[in-house]
Amino acid sequence: MNIIETHELGRRYGTTWALQDCSLTIPAGHLTALVGPNGAGKTTLLNLVIGLSAPSAGNLTVLGDLRPGSLSALDGIGFVAQDVPVYRGFSVSDMVHLTKNLNRSFDVGYARQRLGDLGIDLRKRAGQLSGGQRAQLALTLALARHPRLLVLDEPTAALDPLARHDFMATVMAAMADDGVSVVLSSHLLAELERVADHLVLMSGGRVSLHGAVDDLLAEHRLVTTRSGPVTKDPLWEVVESSTAGAQTQQLVRLRSPESLPASEHDARPVGIEELAMAYLRTGGRHVGRVLEGAHR
Amino acid sequence: MTTLAPVPTSGTAISPVPLRQLAWVARRRNRATVLGLGGLLAALATYLVVTGLQAHAAYDDLGSCVPPITTDACRIRWDSFINGQGQRGLTGPLLLMLPGIVGAVVGAPLIGRELESGVFRYSWTQGAGRMRWAVAIIIPIVVLTAALMGSLGLLVAWRNGPVVDAGATQRLDTSTFPTTGVAVLGWTLLGLSAGVLAGLIWRRVVPAVASSFAAWFGLAYLASTVRPQLLTPLTSAGQPPVGSLDIADHWTKDGVGVPVSEVSSVLEKVGVQMREDGFSAQVEAGSPAPTDPITYLSDHGYIQVHSYQPDSRYWTFQWIELSWLVLVSLALLGLTFWLVRRRSI
Repeated sequence: MNIIETHELGRRYGTTWALQDCSLTIPAGHLTALVGPNGAGKTTLLNLVIGLSAPSAGNLTVLGDLRPGSLSALDGIGFVAQDVPVYRGFSVSDMVHLTKNLNRSFDVGYARQRLGDLGIDLRKRAGQLSGGQRAQLALTLALARHPRLLVLDEPTAALDPLARHDFMATVMAAMADDGVSVVLSSHLLAELERVADHLVLMSGGRVSLHGAVDDLLAEHRLVTTRSGPVTKDPLWEVVESSTAGAQTQQLVRLRSPESLPASEHDARPVGIEELAMAYLRTGGRHVGRVLEGAHR
Repeated sequence: MTTLAPVPTSGTAISPVPLRQLAWVARRRNRATVLGLGGLLAALATYLVVTGLQAHAAYDDLGSCVPPITTDACRIRWDSFINGQGQRGLTGPLLLMLPGIVGAVVGAPLIGRELESGVFRYSWTQGAGRMRWAVAIIIPIVVLTAALMGSLGLLVAWRNGPVVDAGATQRLDTSTFPTTGVAVLGWTLLGLSAGVLAGLIWRRVVPAVASSFAAWFGLAYLASTVRPQLLTPLTSAGQPPVGSLDIADHWTKDGVGVPVSEVSSVLEKVGVQMREDGFSAQVEAGSPAPTDPITYLSDHGYIQVHSYQPDSRYWTFQWIELSWLVLVSLALLGLTFWLVRRRSI
């Protein structure tokens, strides 16, 4: 089952397209990282997935074939929005009860135990919690619904490294225990490198690269040419090229994973961050259109 | 802890979140609002009870000295009663504005504050869905607020009773009519529904409160000017019955309308001046008592015709007022729910 499936999805604000031509298939059971700079369209895409926003073009389905925002879809998706909105005047306990009463099923025992483990006082007002605690509260509330899909919009942006680690540990534990699929957006790839097994790279309102991390790593190489003019090679297409002195470095996408570069080239595997940066710097030009203003 | 949520098969509708759960949401979400409103109305009610008891006691003292008043002694007592109980300073305008103020202050934050603070990204994405959430957040507090304001209206009517009975004001008078009966329910509903819609449109509480109150005030003013004409007024030769709302008057002679200037000049011949508030005559010492102008005029065929709304139409006007206000309020609430459903960020 595909947890998210979009087809030429677009969202326009006035005359500006915040998201355009987005065709994605995200299978269930993965942690998908949605990565891109600010303004890349990550939040727009996630708002469409949760049904806060309606598409201006194309279509999308979630949890198989459900319409985003429908009761069935909302029932199966736990969502933590950017900046972690909570009723600031409510106590933590009130937030637990509120979420319980706003949903068909809610695991109060799980919520209380997790909040206890985290040392979050149930009587404390939600507005008085630290950023890390607030994020953990929102995550706990979402997980206690035992959703099939967890959507997190920049959940760790405001957190210190330790809180960030704790947060991701909770997410990973839920994936192991519940089998929940996770889609998480971030402008920091480094923190997701070890945990994400699916990557969607966005810039300028478009998806510039997406796929399973292992597949993406297998089909990209960094090729260094020591001398002479750079020749085109039918085995790969060049994503990014940079020349320093007599040396030319090219990040290339192999036309098939078996077609490894010939031995006269110095080719080595790339890391996911290196790969992402190359795509973001070139604005995803090679996958199709030229993006204007995606990266300055 | 590892139980998976039941997986709905595709396409089948799931059972919605029970109303019992949403009732908790409604109570918790609007608790502070209800406490604040309750406090305000309790203070007002206390004031109304105290002044009402005073008014009733003073009215009992008045005994039979109510219009039509025949003796000078009675007139003095009646004047003193009116001066004491008929004037309520700012309470009158406050009570008139109250449904609009309460409606805007209670109504505008219901959706407006969610949108302003961004919490709607939490509350609209829970399993209940935004529509059920909106129903839970809006409907109970609207009903409760209207009920509280309706109760206050009963108290206002009771407090006004002695002043109305003494003939100092009328139940149909613009200054009291919308604050009593079922009209106060209608004006509260209008204030609330305008507030809720403004909150949704503005996405900020303060401008929503201001604009919805302004709209409410405009409509209330318009209604006060149109209301006396909604039913064809009755006419009477001479003063209309006690308790009637006097709308307009004109002079006639033998059934034909005559200008006031003609009446004025007729009176001047017998030494009586017409004034805004009655008649005056220059009387020299030793001369006979001046002619009674009313008698003189009627003897000469001049009759002042009043058009008025009788007190017996009070409830007819009340139900008319409630009906159209409920219709407008329902239209605004319907628009609100429709916009909530359609809203896309």
